[in-house]
Amino acid sequence: MGWEEKQVRGYPEFVQTAQRYHGRPIFALFCGDKDAEGRSWCPDCVTAEPVVRKELHHMPEGSVFIYCLVGDRAYWKDTNNEFRKTLKLTGVPTLLKYGTPQKLVEEECFKAELVRMLFTED
Amino acid sequence: SVQVHKEGRTQRALEMNGHTLLPQSYDYDLIVIGGGSGGLAAAKEAAKYGKKVMVLDFVTPTPLGNSWGLGGTCVNVGCIPKKLMHQAALLGQALQDSRNFGWQFTREVRHNWMVMTESVQNYIGSLNWGYRVALREKSVTYENAYGEFVGPHTVKATNKRGVEKLYTAERFLIATGERPRYLGIPGDKEYCISSDDLFSLPYCPGKTLVVGASYVALECAGFLAGLGLDVTVMVRSILLRGFDQDMANKIGEYMEEHGVRFIREFVPIKIEQIEEGTPGILKVTAKSTNENEIIEGEYNTVLLAIGRDACTRNIGLDKVGVKINQKTGKIPVNDEEQTNVPYIYAIGDILQDKLELTPVAIQAGRLLVQRLYAGATRKCDYVNVPTTVFTPLEYGACGYSEEAAVEKFGEESIEYHSYFWPLEWTVPSRDNNKCYAKIICNIQDNERVIGFHVLGPNAGEITQGFAAAMKCGMTKEQLDNTIGIHPVCAEV
Repeated sequence: MGWEEKQVRGYPEFVQTAQRYHGRPIFALFCGDKDAEGRSWCPDCVTAEPVVRKELHHMPEGSVFIYCLVGDRAYWKDTNNEFRKTLKLTGVPTLLKYGTPQKLVEEECFKAELVRMLFTED
Repeated sequence: SVQVHKEGRTQRALEMNGHTLLPQSYDYDLIVIGGGSGGLAAAKEAAKYGKKVMVLDFVTPTPLGNSWGLGGTCVNVGCIPKKLMHQAALLGQALQDSRNFGWQFTREVRHNWMVMTESVQNYIGSLNWGYRVALREKSVTYENAYGEFVGPHTVKATNKRGVEKLYTAERFLIATGERPRYLGIPGDKEYCISSDDLFSLPYCPGKTLVVGASYVALECAGFLAGLGLDVTVMVRSILLRGFDQDMANKIGEYMEEHGVRFIREFVPIKIEQIEEGTPGILKVTAKSTNENEIIEGEYNTVLLAIGRDACTRNIGLDKVGVKINQKTGKIPVNDEEQTNVPYIYAIGDILQDKLELTPVAIQAGRLLVQRLYAGATRKCDYVNVPTTVFTPLEYGACGYSEEAAVEKFGEESIEYHSYFWPLEWTVPSRDNNKCYAKIICNIQDNERVIGFHVLGPNAGEITQGFAAAMKCGMTKEQLDNTIGIHPVCAEV
């Protein structure tokens, strides 16, 4: 079966998707929005994305990888946005294992070894 | 014959059975057995100096099958969850006090054990993960495997699937810590829980019997009672052995006046299950320590807190000749934390005659590594280490107890004391003669403060500063000349 990827944008869509796959291992990568040319306003996200994608095959069988665009820069900077308030995200990019305290934030996402550890951790 | 050269020589060789092992043939510079407070601090410090380090951490499940992640006792089943649950209990009290300060709420206030436990365990999980990331980032190899010595410079690591691997290192650090002791009576392992189980218990413990009079016993009894549970403490003889007994008795009195029942001079002799369940009902039979009286009681949960045993008996120390105290299992070390085997060191709770505290283990670990790899000379100072017992009425202490001072300095030491009433307790009419502070001074040495004891809210916060002052050699006169902050408890 392998794993599958879901691409979402914004908080409500993220929550809906996560709930739909309740019971399966869910990993999520949160990045800043991309413009018409496909470039994100968040330079760290640009660096992190290929590193994370290269390690996806390490995820356990049946995993769901949710690629979530959080919004534009202004939305992200607002300290009251739902990602910060409810999911307790402190920065983008953030890679996390949904429903656990396991996550990697910002430069931690650049390190293939850490990403692999997150995907394969018991 | 075995010739072991003293550490520090540039040309080092270990001759065993005619084979010569040269340093560069080892897998690692340092293998740390035990990933707790001491072990992790030492491992991270060694990595800072570019050393190749491995950490072996493994939790043997409790008799009830409970286990936990990387970080050791403090993080998983000790200081951290304990303080959080103590805080939960304090907040319950604060809710009651708040009415006197004008807060009005009509709903009854009740406590939900599952909500608290889930939050605490979630936080612990983030700490476990944080350690994994920290070790990885510093290139420290971590294996979730049980480490034991099998021969000179060699350990065997067995993971939970039973897979064995051998590793060699130039030096080893034993930091395996301790685990709760059981009574050795019928029913103890089948039905009783320990602190290893309490902080992740998936159901409210209900009516609880705490066996023991250690700080673990009193702290747990304290917060369980503070959460509204029916708590009884069964004590064999005195409270808080080794602590200032004047203070220990005041703590006991306070707990008794606040709903904790004490059964003194009894020990359990049998535990039986009357009803299964989560929790079930247990019947405890206990015998008096001085007469033949037998008593029985029924409880939902029996929590054993009668002491902790060092994890040194099953790690192959005999195979490498490390001496341990056969009676206690503790390891004697010199003032550089070195065992009788020069390339094997030990830190933390397993050390003989040293304080069993996380900050002590961390400090010892860091300084040891700095001496080994960074040319430092500073040794760990075990004198005047401050501690705090987080009973409902908190107790902070640093230095000599009254008994120890009298024993060492005779009547030449004197003591000053005072009761105080925290301002915050006045309005809700809470006890006005329970909080207490005392210092012990050595008359012969300029009335230097050699003991500090305080009983009251935030005792830990108060004590920390005084510990630093004592390290500087503060005298009574200097203390008197320090103007107090008002209105705080510490000004007394």
